[in-house]
Amino acid sequence: MMRALLTGPRPIAKLIFAMLPRLIPAALCGLAFAGAAAQTPPQTVDLSKFPATAVDEVVVPVPSEVFNVLDKLGSPNWKGEMRDSLGTNTGNRAQVALLLGTVIAEGFVAVEAEDSQRVKEIGQEVLVLADAINVRKAVIARSKSVIEKADAKNWRAVRSELDGALQDVRAAMQELGDEDLAQLVSLGGWIRGTEVLTSIVSKNYTPDGAELLNQPELVAYFSRRIEEMRSSRLRKEELVAKVRKLLRDIRPLIAKGSIPVSNVQKINKLTGDMVTVITSGQE
Amino acid sequence: MKTLKILFVLALAVAGLSAVWAAVDDALSFAHESALPFVKQGYIIREDAWGGDLGVKDQQAVTAQLFKGNDYWFCLGTDTKGAVVTVHVYDSNGKLAEVESYQRPGKAGSGAYFAGARVIPQKTGTYYAIVTVEKSPAERTNWALVYGYK
Repeated sequence: MMRALLTGPRPIAKLIFAMLPRLIPAALCGLAFAGAAAQTPPQTVDLSKFPATAVDEVVVPVPSEVFNVLDKLGSPNWKGEMRDSLGTNTGNRAQVALLLGTVIAEGFVAVEAEDSQRVKEIGQEVLVLADAINVRKAVIARSKSVIEKADAKNWRAVRSELDGALQDVRAAMQELGDEDLAQLVSLGGWIRGTEVLTSIVSKNYTPDGAELLNQPELVAYFSRRIEEMRSSRLRKEELVAKVRKLLRDIRPLIAKGSIPVSNVQKINKLTGDMVTVITSGQE
Repeated sequence: MKTLKILFVLALAVAGLSAVWAAVDDALSFAHESALPFVKQGYIIREDAWGGDLGVKDQQAVTAQLFKGNDYWFCLGTDTKGAVVTVHVYDSNGKLAEVESYQRPGKAGSGAYFAGARVIPQKTGTYYAIVTVEKSPAERTNWALVYGYK
């Protein structure tokens, strides 16, 4: 066994990735480690010589990582970024999974806006949506904790609980064998998070702010995960097809190099439209 | 008699699996122990983790999207007595990206060994945390990796 994603506070050695071949050492040792002292790292490695499987998977950042940086970019009008409605649950599992991701991301916006009432509503909504996809049990404690900590205005703790809720939902889905839906939850969160990020950056454009969108591997990873969905029915769903198209449209806009304000605005429009589709339940 | 044999085989299988889970559990506990000093410095450690087992000189790359503006620690732990493991982080050009790193044994008698690498990304993008089993008396060495940010 070479690699496993261990999820949850108590790890279950849950194998998410295909086990990697034992070829990596040959690639790296031959290239860079030759002659180096055991604990002295080489200054460079040739990543192109990695077996494809070694770099195939990407650790999806938790929303806090992005919002942590946004905190340092000034004081945006977070209340202005909040959506009026959390969306409509249509009962379609793909839509619910995507919606759940957007609602959790909305929780981060509400935390930034320090709107405890909104955070509490979101805590409740997470529970309702989790119930709709059979993972309610996994988030009961988180939801309760989100509400309690929002009451106490302990924003850092709320963020941590929202990150945890996202991870717990994903872990529960994976245990149920619903890896495809788990991926959609992550995608929903990423889409809404990207909409907010681009909105803020485009209102006060700086190359540093725009650089937060430099996520080509992550976008490629999400695209691959959709292409590789085990359920062909899910893969062919109109909503999922729209997400796939969204990712395809975004990729050239975040290609290497600095990302101009026009691209930031385009991504904002694309993700905003997608969030509207997800939350309205219209396909 | 046949039933007894089946039960015996099942019991062995369960015991074997439990041992594997326990080992990964221990490696993860040590990864968190490795990260503990950074929690005290305000780093938030992600609840998910990566791990498995590797042969001597085997390596594993964990690909991560990191953001300029954050400060990261990748912390690695193993519970394989006598093993030496390392983690080093490279950017998407294959250039060493860490600003500091460490390798050290855990408390005497614990069998633990810790390693870590700190990255303050100069650019937002894809980074590769490369885990290596430098030496080990065991054929396979358990490892677990966590990371934190602030």
